This record gives sequence, C-alpha cells and structure tokens, in this order.
Amino acid sequence: MASEKLDNWLDRHSARLFLLPTVLLILSFSLFPLVISAWLSLSRFKLVAGGYDISYIGWLNYKKLFTGSQQFHFLGTFAPISLVGWLIIALTAAILFWGIYTFLISRNITVIGVIGRLIAFPVLGWLGWLVASTTGEGGRLGSLSTTLYYVFAGVTLQFLMGTLLAWLCAQNIRGRAFFRLVFFVPLMVTPVGIAYMFRMLADMSVGPFSPIWKLFGLGEFSWAADPWSARMVVIIGDSWQWIPFIFIVMLAAFESQSRDEIEAAELDGASGWQIFKDITWPSVVPVAATVVLIRIIEAFKIVDLPNVLTNGGPGIATESLTLHSFIEWRALNLGGSSSVAYLLLVVSTIICVSYFQLVVLPMRRARE
Amino acid sequence: MSWFESQKLGEMAPGTKVIIYSLLWFWAFVVVFPLYWVVITSFKLPVHVSDGPDFLPFIDYQPSLHAWKYIFIDLGSDTFRPYLNSVIIASISTVFAMIFGSMAAYALARLHFQPRLISIVLFLIALGLAAYAAISFGVDWRLALALGIAVFFFLVRALQRVPSPRLGNGDILFWVISQRILPPIVAALPIYIMFQQLHILDTHFAIILTYITVNLPIVVWLMYDFFVSIPRDIEESAGLDGASKIRIFFEMALPLAKPGLAATSLLVLILSWNEYLLALFLSTAKAQTIPLLVAAQNATRGPQWWYMSVLIIIMIVPVVLLTILLQRLISKGLLLGAVKG
Amino acid sequence: MTVVLDGISKSFGNTPVLHGLDINVEEGEFMVLLGASGSGKSTALRMIAGLESTTAGKVFIDGRDVTEVLPKNRNVAMVFQSYALYPHKTVAENIGYPLKVRKLPKADIEEQVRDVAGQVQLLELLERYPRQLSGGQRQRVALARAMVRRPAVFLMDEPLSNLDAKLRGHMRTELKRMQHNLGITTIYVTHDQVEAMTLADRVAILEGGKLMQLAPPKDIYNDPANLFVAQFIGSPPMNLLEGSLAPGLFTCSDVAIPVNNSARVAQATLGVRPEDCSVVAPDAGQMNATIYATELLGDHTLVTATVGDSIVTVKAAKDYEAALDTPIGIAIESAALYLFDRTGERLR
Repeated sequence: MASEKLDNWLDRHSARLFLLPTVLLILSFSLFPLVISAWLSLSRFKLVAGGYDISYIGWLNYKKLFTGSQQFHFLGTFAPISLVGWLIIALTAAILFWGIYTFLISRNITVIGVIGRLIAFPVLGWLGWLVASTTGEGGRLGSLSTTLYYVFAGVTLQFLMGTLLAWLCAQNIRGRAFFRLVFFVPLMVTPVGIAYMFRMLADMSVGPFSPIWKLFGLGEFSWAADPWSARMVVIIGDSWQWIPFIFIVMLAAFESQSRDEIEAAELDGASGWQIFKDITWPSVVPVAATVVLIRIIEAFKIVDLPNVLTNGGPGIATESLTLHSFIEWRALNLGGSSSVAYLLLVVSTIICVSYFQLVVLPMRRARE
Repeated sequence: MSWFESQKLGEMAPGTKVIIYSLLWFWAFVVVFPLYWVVITSFKLPVHVSDGPDFLPFIDYQPSLHAWKYIFIDLGSDTFRPYLNSVIIASISTVFAMIFGSMAAYALARLHFQPRLISIVLFLIALGLAAYAAISFGVDWRLALALGIAVFFFLVRALQRVPSPRLGNGDILFWVISQRILPPIVAALPIYIMFQQLHILDTHFAIILTYITVNLPIVVWLMYDFFVSIPRDIEESAGLDGASKIRIFFEMALPLAKPGLAATSLLVLILSWNEYLLALFLSTAKAQTIPLLVAAQNATRGPQWWYMSVLIIIMIVPVVLLTILLQRLISKGLLLGAVKG
Repeated sequence: MTVVLDGISKSFGNTPVLHGLDINVEEGEFMVLLGASGSGKSTALRMIAGLESTTAGKVFIDGRDVTEVLPKNRNVAMVFQSYALYPHKTVAENIGYPLKVRKLPKADIEEQVRDVAGQVQLLELLERYPRQLSGGQRQRVALARAMVRRPAVFLMDEPLSNLDAKLRGHMRTELKRMQHNLGITTIYVTHDQVEAMTLADRVAILEGGKLMQLAPPKDIYNDPANLFVAQFIGSPPMNLLEGSLAPGLFTCSDVAIPVNNSARVAQATLGVRPEDCSVVAPDAGQMNATIYATELLGDHTLVTATVGDSIVTVKAAKDYEAALDTPIGIAIESAALYLFDRTGERLR
C-alpha cells in the first residue's frame, strides 16, 4: 500500500524530479558562483590563514583595467590607426549598419529587440575601434583584443577549411569512412597535449620542419619572440584541433541533402559550382550558422594553448582573457581575476547573443 | 579531351578527381604527421632530439625505450595515480552527467513546465541576499543558505496570488543550454573558495561534481533533440498500459535513444578526459589528472619532449580505441543535434 | 525526338536490376513504363536521363548515342516523384532556374516563365514558396519547370502518386491534354495500371528487370503476351484456372471447357476476365460454382465463387442478389478465353 502511494507521488511529480538534479547543480555551481564572482570583482579579496579577508572597493578593479595601471594588460597599448586598423573599422561599421538596416525593414520590431541592439551595437562598435587602434605601428594588443583575434580569425579559418574538407568528402569518392575517422582524431587529443605537440613541431632548430626553415633563412627566427607569429601558432594549434569538429558536422549536413533536388538541378543543366551555390549551400546554411555559433562560444574560453605554447608571451601578446584572469589568480589578485573573468563573460555573451539574433535566427526562419 | 570534363557517366572528371584526392590526402597528412612525430619522439634519446630532426626510426636513429621506462617504472606511481584519477573522474562524471542530463532533456521534451517568472525573480533575490550575508557579514554559509531558502518559500507563498507571466519549456531549455557560454574561469574562482570552505579541495568528489555541472548543458542539448524525434505513440501506448512516467523513461525512451546516448557519452567523456583549467584550480596532488601531469613536465626542467610524448600517447590511445568502437554511432548522433540546431 | 534503349542492362554492385531491355519510343509518343516496385522501371527512366550509368547496352536520343553523355547535355527534362522543387526559391525562380543556368537575359527568362506558368494556371502563384503550395500546385510547378526548357524528351517518375485520388484523376486528363498540345516525346513511369491504360500511346510492362510486353493499351488488355501481363492488367484481375489442355478441350478438376485450340499441353492455364463471364443457372454454363461472396459496387455486382479449389469472380448485373453458398453456373464467352503454357507464354 505504502509503496503504491509512493509510486503515485513519484509519478505525479516526475516532471519536476527529472529536472531537479540538473537545475540544482546548475544553480549551485553555475549561477551561484556567478553571483559570488560579481561580488568578488567589486572587492579586494585576500585569502588568509583559515579563511579570507574581504573589503568592498566598488568599481576600482574595473577602473584599473580600463583606465588605470592594468590598461596596457587588458586593452593594450594605443597607437595611431594603420591601414589594417581602418579596414577593421570599416568592416565593423558595415556589419553594424547591415544589422540596423535589416532590423528596421523587418516586421519584427520589439521592445526587447530595440533594447538589445541599443546595448550590443555600441559595444560591438567600440570593440572594433579598440582592435583597430591597438594594431597600428607601435601599438600592442591587450588580452581583450587578442581574444577577439583568436575568436574571429580562428573560427573563420576553421569554418572555411572544415567546410571545404566536408564538401570534398561528400563527393563521389572512395574511402569516405576512412577519411572521416582519420579527420576525427585531433578532437580527441587534450589541448595541453596539442600545445606541446606544436611546440615540438614548430621548433626552429630541432623540429621536423627545421630543414625547411633553414632553407628560407629563418633558422635563427624564434616564432615565440614575435607577437604575431606567436599568435599565429596558437591559431594553428587551435585550428588543428577544431577543424575536424566543423568537418564532421558539415559533412553530415552535406550527406543529408535531398538527392532529388541535386539531380533535378543536374538535369536543368547546372554545373557543379552552380549546384553548390544555388542548391546545396542555401540548405546547409542553418547548420553552418549553428556550428559557427558553437565554435564562437567555445573559442572565447581558449586558455590551454596560449598557456602552454607560449606562456602568454612574448610579454602579454598571446594572453587570452581566461589566461589573463588565471595569471591574476596565480598572483593572488583575486578581485582583479574576477573582474577580468566577468568582462570576458560580458563580451562573449554580447557577441554570442548578437550573432545568434543576427545570423542564426534569420537563417533558421528562412529555411522553415 | 578536357581535364575537367567528366569522361564516364557517374564519375568525376579526371582533373577534378586529382584535385579532390590530393587535398584530402594532404589534410590526412596534416592530421597524422604531428601524431607520428609524437610517437617516434617517445622512442628517442635526448641526443637524438638535440642533434636535429630524425624522421625515421631504425634508419635515422636507434629507437630506445628509455622514456617509456622512465614514465612507467621510475615515475611509477607518479604516473599511475594521475592516470587512475583521470579514469575515475572522467567515467564517473560522464555517467552522472548523462543520467541527470538525459532525465532533464526528457522532461523538457515530453513534459510540461510553466514556472512563474515571479518565483524565479524571488529565488534570485533570496540567493543574492544569502550570498551577501555570508560574504560581507561572515555569517556561516549553512545558516545563510537555510535562511535564504526559508525566505524564498515564505515570499513565494505570500505572493502566490500576484499575477505573473509564465515561462515555458523553451525558456528553461534555453537557460540550461546558455550555461555553455559561461567561461569556466568565471565560476572557477568562487567554486574554489566554496570547496575550500567545505574542505573538499583536491578530492575526486569536488572535481567530479564540477565536471558534471559543466557538461550538463551539452547533454541536455543533444539528448533533447533525440527525445523530440522519437515518435510519441510508443510512449503513449505504454502510458495507456499503465506504466508510470519514470518507467516509460527508463524502459522505452532511453533504449530508443541509444545512438544519441552513445555519441553524447563519448563527447562528454572526451571533454572530461582532456579538461585542464578546472582540474588545475581544484586539485594539487591527490586528485591530479593527466593533463596536469603533461603540463607539469614543462615546469620543473626544460622541455623534455620524449617524456611528454609518452604521456601524450597514453592519453590518446584509450580515447581512440573507444572512438573506433563507437564510430558509426558518432556521426549519426552529432548530425541529429546539429541539423535540428 | 525518338528514344531507343538498346540491350540495356544494369547492376548495382552484384544485384542485377535490368536485363537486356529493348525499348523504342516514337517521335511525340506517350510511352508508359508500367511495373510493380522493384521491376526496374525507375532505373530505366533514370538511365535515359543520365542519372544512372549503364552496365551494358546503349541509349540513343534522336539517333545520337548518349550513353556516356552528361544529363545536362541530353536535353531531357524530368518531373520527379517528390517534385524536387528548390525550397528556398519562389515558384517563378524554380521555373526559371533552367534558363538562369543557361545565362539567358532576365527579361527573356521572365517572359518564358510567365508563358509556361499561364499554360498550367500558375500565374497567381509565381511569388509563393513551395512550402506554401498544395500538392497539386507543386506538381504543376515541377511540370512547368520541365516545360520551360522545351526539351527533346519529357521524363516523368510517378508524378501523380503523391496526389489524392480525385486530384489524380483530374491531373491525368490535364497531362494527356498538355502532352498532346506540346507534342513532346514523353516517357512516364508508374505502377498504376489505370494511369497506364488512360495515358499511354503504348505501354511497356516491366517485371524483374525484363520487358514483358510492349504494345498499345488495347492490345495489352485484349491480347496479353503472357500470364504476368494478363494478371497485372485488369481490375478485378483475370480469373485463372490451372489444368491441362487437350486438342479442343481444357480440363481442370471437375471442369471441362471447349476451347478453340488444337495443342496438347500437360500443364496449362486458362484465363477469362470477370466481365466476360455471366451468372446462369447451374449446369447452364461451362462450369458450376458455389457463391463465396457478393459485393455491390454501384454499377455492377461482383460475385466471387468457388470452382473446385479455385476462385472465380464474375461481374454480374447491379441488381443481382443471391445468398452465400448458392450453387450457380458460370457461362463464358468462348472468344474471350486465354490459354497459357507452363512458362506463362500465351498459347495461340
């Protein structure tokens, strides 16, 4: 009798019971720490024997990052804007205008939409300006700009390469299963391992490519000493690992294409390129948009590679925001560490949500 | 005859074939070569490395087992313990992440939720107050938590009649999945402090708990798509036959979602196995995992490529074996999730 | 344009699907490839289109050997069973795609699209998307897209099978009309014998990858070349009795029927269509039977009766009524008898 009552009670509340562990865990270890982290970033926090010592200092940590002694670390060193810088500004402006334009002509203007865009667009514009004004002659990128570079340059490279490989593999070739397995392997290697692997490979004097470097007269060149080459090696390592991810997803998308439509286009006289442009691409665009979103979300968190490959160096040139925060933690500046982490959260959330609203949703709606 | 015109029906033009195959094999080389280099380096003596690159074992140099010996015998338990830790932590956290996450995904896919917005707001307020009390005024955290929960329940009852918009399954799903955007570093520090207060730093339990939480969003996302695509008829008929929802979940839904379970488990296992940052924060000696061991190789002396290579290899091998076993299920699983978005 | 399939064979891996098919289609003819699923009819169609390669044999379009020619260079248009409309393009863009691919100027494309759309009553729907259209409308878009190129040959792969029965009947007549007006050689694949009988100038019946008979519908019905064709065509199907043939007489269990054939065959099959039989009093016809079931179908009554171990159906008048298990006689029109030997070949 009693067990039956228990069964009934369980059944009635099963929905909530199913959801409970997940919600509890996320509340305790995601949401709660978020709140604490916010609080920490507004305080000077010291771990002392047996406990901690905390004192509220308001926005001081943030002020230090934006205008104070840590500005060079977070924002970078400013310099007059170079040609590349102007290109970046032009690109950012174009994206923003396109965002505003499509919003105004859409029939979907809501209060939340307006507020969201009012917050996001100025931030995006400012970020574009920041990157532009730290890349000039004599300028140095801060951890914020470096992270943005990793995200945008990295994801772009990974997406183009991954999609290209997927499309090649989706053709009428033999050994598709073989390639699929081989291409998947890099995803399984721990990022720390990848970092060391590439450090070995990129070694100018005893690495496997050193004969080639010496041929080009680069034998004495230390890639770890130049900011841009160091960043490029980080991106190479990151791409080696993540191109397979995009490859697998896009290959699945290409394989799920409706054969009929392609055959109809073949009969209509379309060439291979026309078929890709007019038929295949429009149908995989929603998947592409989603997989890029996933990559962007993950790319913001990059830390293993810059830490192990270059230790954030030379100087702070390859420091991502996570690494910056970690370094502060190691230096026992817990308040500063939290504030950097929080800014990372803000920036990545704005960019991810903007991307989702501006790219993913329209793609999905178009295909519905 | 043009190189880019197809000569036989159903086959690609010879020129196109050449380009496609060469690109694919090029990338296969890009993937395999670094791994090959790691493998042969693990058999090299220090002198082989510093003298310049040796490409072929037995031809350019005589392979030696000294690095392997060092890692497995000389270092012995110092290698074995992190390895065991990694195995324990990765498998246990994967199992629980899959259980909790699948349950949550199933609930969101099949059952109806309508939490009131006002309840959520009240909850956050109560939580914030508890945190404030605990941190600023040094109130014992257990007391603060209990007080916070009490305040929450009281307020919810009091404000029961207040009209409030309701959120739905979609909103809950979005909230869970959006946790993925949270950079681990933001939560790492508070979690570190929390665990320190609870005296569970450097334990398996602490890391497992953290890994489960971090991986829940992925499990929920992928399994949700799977459960939604299972036709309802089977479950409805079981319900008519008298099965409880719990029974339907374990005996009907889960078995039908096996490909999804396999693919998602593998993904979560790989993520937990390879995770570095949180393990670094939350462990020092006892619960150290292998990625930390690999990273630590650099700290004490200069880069000792041969030892590192051995460690990298023993990290990769189990995962590769597992993947080959589950290979076909993976792409099916990932496809469903990605195509549905 | 004529189409000739010359000794076409096709195997997928080790599975043979077509065995030495020989079909020729005349200029402007409406040819129907009829068969059950798995008979190879769609494969044959796709080989004419160039979407499948040949394992052996040749394909000729208008006298030109196109066996190795790419689909886009064969000047054929195809209407797929699923219509294969491009979901992200409007109706107008769908129809105009073949012209856009050939880089025609925009004004020309628009004009031709409107012209064709008018012929299939799609003018008001040009700006819609496929997902907003009904099944019948989508089918017309697929048709229009095939027509706009003025191809040498129309290929249709079960285009009506996704429509409901009423619409199917309507579209059948529309298709026949349209093909007659355009005069383009058409090859049509279906499993529905009604479509084959009503649409075709000639029917090619396929089974197991082999051609059973190639003839106009009238001959397929009245003069089947073998047992398979006889059974396949006709609703309800032809009655078949297995027995033996002596000169002038067919015997089967306790039934003896005089026939106009002087062969002697140990194992033979006698066939007669239900409409060529009538219900008479016991012993007044060529055989006696017992009623198993009667079904009123509106314009006639279908009487199913047992003759020994076999079942025979008879189309009786619409007001015929009788109780189950009533003994009756069945009279057969002697000119309407068909005889088949042990292998299924027709005995004449």
